[in-house]
Amino acid sequence: MNIQFKKGVLDLCVLALLNKQDRYGYELVQKISVQIEVSEGSVYPLLRRLRKEGYLSTYLKESTEGPSRKYYQLTDEGRTHLRNLYNEWKQFTAGVEEIIKEGVQDE
Amino acid sequence: MNKEQFLKILEEGLKKLPHEEREEILQDFQEHFAIGLEQGKTEEEIAASLGSPQQIAKEMVATSHIEHVSENRSIGNIIRATWAVIGLSFFNLVIVLGPFLALVGILLAGWLTGISFVASPFIFLFNVLFFHGTFITLEFFLSITLCGVGLLALIGMYYATVALSNLFVRYLKYNVNLVKGGLKNESY
Repeated sequence: MNIQFKKGVLDLCVLALLNKQDRYGYELVQKISVQIEVSEGSVYPLLRRLRKEGYLSTYLKESTEGPSRKYYQLTDEGRTHLRNLYNEWKQFTAGVEEIIKEGVQDE
Repeated sequence: MNKEQFLKILEEGLKKLPHEEREEILQDFQEHFAIGLEQGKTEEEIAASLGSPQQIAKEMVATSHIEHVSENRSIGNIIRATWAVIGLSFFNLVIVLGPFLALVGILLAGWLTGISFVASPFIFLFNVLFFHGTFITLEFFLSITLCGVGLLALIGMYYATVALSNLFVRYLKYNVNLVKGGLKNESY
């Protein structure tokens, strides 16, 4: 898939993953890379940016195994942003589906 | 590439960032390696899936510069942010440098025109005094008019510059959001 396009939806993926529960960086990266082929390292700059923009907050939590982990949490602003992005996404994919359907029927 | 090599290259690329920020980023990747190792992966495997540390560093630096330019819109900050975004990929060289140069060109032309209009009465006086030209009333009033137009133009240019810089910073942000990271096998 086109890189530009994929990058555009990574924000949405990260926010969606954090909607129900807080997660640490490694976990987020794994969850994403299982479904979408991205270089895992590029998720970290994205997490920093989302945090700077106020959509995420972080806290450290002790882990039973090994050193403490940095957890990412969705802020209220982040939740609003997620809703907006999700709506845009639905409109976009619905539009694309419609066009493809018409195109394929014509053949 | 093992963990040490990966972190070293990353740290090298983050040199321009404030100490605290750099340490925090390195800490995040230390954590990533630590958890990966716990789950039985090798350092080499983890580094390979993370991708190019140079590219990660570039993205971090670009994000940080854009953050600074949002807080303080100085010319230096705008140039640093533009430069960092251009460095992200070859694609950006075209889509960022082009508009940037065009914008600078337009603004520069506007300011120079305004300044020379404002300066025209002085040029007129200079002409009369030093080249012993005849004092021509038409030219005199023309230069006064130009000076007035020039002052208005300069005020206009001030607002135009602020508005266009805001617009350009938004464009940079949009760009970083769009062109972040790369595919697993993409080489830079």
